Amino acid sequence: MTKLKGNDFIEKVRTEIDQRLPLDMLNLGDLMAHKEVPKHRMSWAYYLGGFTLFFFIVQVVTGLMLLFYYKPTVSEAHASVEYITHQVSAGALVRNMHTWASSLMILSILIHLITTFAMKAFEKPRELTWVTGVALLLITFTFGFTGYLLPWNQIAVNATKIGLQTIEQVGHYLPGDLATWPRHLREIIQGEASVGQSTLSRFYAIHVVVLPFLIFGLLGVHLLVVQLHGMSKGVDEPAKGQEKFFPFFILKDFSAWGIAFLALFLFALCLPFESFFPYPLFEPYDALGSTPEGIKPEWYFFFMYYPLELLPFWLVMLGVNGAMVVLLFAPWIFKGSSRKTLRFLAVLAALYLFVMTVFGDKIYHLVKGVGG
Amino acid sequence: MLEAFLFVGLPYAAVIICVAGSIYRFKTQPYSYSALSSQFLEGKKLMWGSVPWHLGITVVFLGHLAAFLAPDTWRLFLSSTHVLYTMEAIGLAAAILCALGLLVLILRRLTTANLQPVTTLMDLVVLFLLLIQVILGIMTAMSVRWGSLWSTETTTPYLWSLLTFRPDASFIAGMPLLVKAHLTGAWILLLSIPFSRLVHMFSLPLEYLFRPPQKVVWNAHPHHGSLKAAEDKEVTRRLFLKGAFGLTAGGVLLGVGVLDELYRFFRGPRLTQAEEADLLDVTQKRLKKNAEEKALELERLRDESIFVAKLSDLSPTKGKYFIDYQMRPALAFLGADGLPQLLSAKCTHLGCTVGSEVNAQGRLLCPCHVSFFDVTNGVPDAGSPAKDPLPKLGWVLVNEKGEIVLSRGPKGEVEGTLLGHEKETLSVHIAKRYVEALT
Repeated sequence: MTKLKGNDFIEKVRTEIDQRLPLDMLNLGDLMAHKEVPKHRMSWAYYLGGFTLFFFIVQVVTGLMLLFYYKPTVSEAHASVEYITHQVSAGALVRNMHTWASSLMILSILIHLITTFAMKAFEKPRELTWVTGVALLLITFTFGFTGYLLPWNQIAVNATKIGLQTIEQVGHYLPGDLATWPRHLREIIQGEASVGQSTLSRFYAIHVVVLPFLIFGLLGVHLLVVQLHGMSKGVDEPAKGQEKFFPFFILKDFSAWGIAFLALFLFALCLPFESFFPYPLFEPYDALGSTPEGIKPEWYFFFMYYPLELLPFWLVMLGVNGAMVVLLFAPWIFKGSSRKTLRFLAVLAALYLFVMTVFGDKIYHLVKGVGG
Repeated sequence: MLEAFLFVGLPYAAVIICVAGSIYRFKTQPYSYSALSSQFLEGKKLMWGSVPWHLGITVVFLGHLAAFLAPDTWRLFLSSTHVLYTMEAIGLAAAILCALGLLVLILRRLTTANLQPVTTLMDLVVLFLLLIQVILGIMTAMSVRWGSLWSTETTTPYLWSLLTFRPDASFIAGMPLLVKAHLTGAWILLLSIPFSRLVHMFSLPLEYLFRPPQKVVWNAHPHHGSLKAAEDKEVTRRLFLKGAFGLTAGGVLLGVGVLDELYRFFRGPRLTQAEEADLLDVTQKRLKKNAEEKALELERLRDESIFVAKLSDLSPTKGKYFIDYQMRPALAFLGADGLPQLLSAKCTHLGCTVGSEVNAQGRLLCPCHVSFFDVTNGVPDAGSPAKDPLPKLGWVLVNEKGEIVLSRGPKGEVEGTLLGHEKETLSVHIAKRYVEALT
């Protein structure tokens, strides 16, 4: 009797996995024939994943090009970045493209995340797509955080110091011996007592080897399940029609990529990313000097950074970690929610991200100005 | 004498004959005023000949026209070598396209049986003349380079001198034979226009580009449907060809540009000696700085005490930065008791370096998140993001002989006495023995 039950269980697990990962569909004919893109008022959102992929490809290519000249040592990193910018032919362009595309990649991921949430694209059997997507988001943020340090300039090193210090701050809320763990964790990440050569080496290794391995693997799974399941329905009402992914939608995808590339190229050609910061922040890091003013993380961390500045630390940490958990388990938490509810939540989240990113600085000064 | 004929007499004669002849032919034989298409007789080779030829010659003609009409603007435009190379490359590519097209057209005229009855001697002469002219042009572009630039100083003024009836062949007197041959060829071609199929260039249907689409239905035939299908197929094919051509041309341009950039990116810069020297200078400074930091680290690992400042150099309002045993920034002040006051300068909030100026309230400012610290004990103000005080550092006072006179630990424990020592002779050190107490 119990044996039979065991078989039932195994069978159940097997069908569950089979539903999530229908590998029997894994042949070129099926993959090309069956994927269709529904046409409805949210159809534009089906481009966002493709955009992200495109910017990722740009990152791989420009990143490899930068790798040919970059030197990951404390004394030479900044000089090598300067060398790339001023001496290497088209070096400034490649570097600008790398920074711009990193921002654009994160922007398109965020919009992709919000729209897929609003469209309930994580619905069964697409849980795996969603979870890998969230993991990819985290990896991309880590890419941004580690890449920021590599030029080894004032803003980079100081912002990294602050970023890593937040880990240590968690220790204040932990009891007993646990309180020292965050500090150990931080020292493991940075490799020594303060941010220095070991940190640079580690971040470099993470940025150019570890994360690419992870992202290639996860991206492979993500894209594979997208192919296997096809596009999600997206809206409650019936679609106005279907469009074959091959060759119609993919051609549209490619032309959108072309326009994106043109825009990126022009941006990179005309507008150095650094023009948004005061110049002294880009001087080489001086370990013995004092911290210059205006140290800020990249814009895509503002949604965490400004609350950290304004609210109690534990509250923000709770919020961020809570949001992460909710995000990761969204397919199960919002199993029964209607698309209408999800759209409302997505709009709220988008609004929060927009306000914090664009007006965070103003809010900060407003609150700080009144407070003291 | 011959030159005067070729470059002054012949041009005028050619223009007069061309204009007069063309008008005469239009009046007398209006229906001959065309290229007399032979597409019905042979279409496939015609496409591979006629399309490249017309495409190429249009581009080449526009290039010649630009140098003629606006030489100054054109020269300015070409002043960048990138633009010059690009323009020359486009021109040369178009000329090669012309030559290939002409070759196909010539072969077609010579070998297609259907065409033999309608091929006149003049057709062949014109084709060969054009081919020779194109080859001369290509040879000029290859051997007397940057014609798009030098033409603005030579052939352009020459042509303008003809046009303004002040003929002056001296502009081109010193030109290589090749260029002169190309010019002569041009006049002969101009001359031949009214006598050949070349007249069709005057009937260029420019309005065709802007007319609304129209459909010519020959007659209401029962097979109308199939006719329409064939027509649609034709339109689709044309669209496809246009698209494919555009994509190929764009792709080739993009490819050449990208390859050129990639080549130069990976080849790396070739620096002048001065640039190389500047670069080495910067690198060396950074390396030195790094070496100095390492030296500081080594000193901290080895020495029992490290010099911070002379006691007499310390100030109560302006701190002196130094590096403590853990390689972190620290500040030295003169306390109210006349003894040194040493504070860590690493903000206890997020690790920024605290400023060294003491403000009117006796506070130090951390600029990152606006924390204020009391300089006397390192305690942050109530509203500051930093909650923990800046740690105090222990110090020792050393006299000229290197003997420790007075010391104070981080917790304030004092040993020794100042009695019998001149303050000017004492210097402030940090000591290794206080390090354990601090962490």
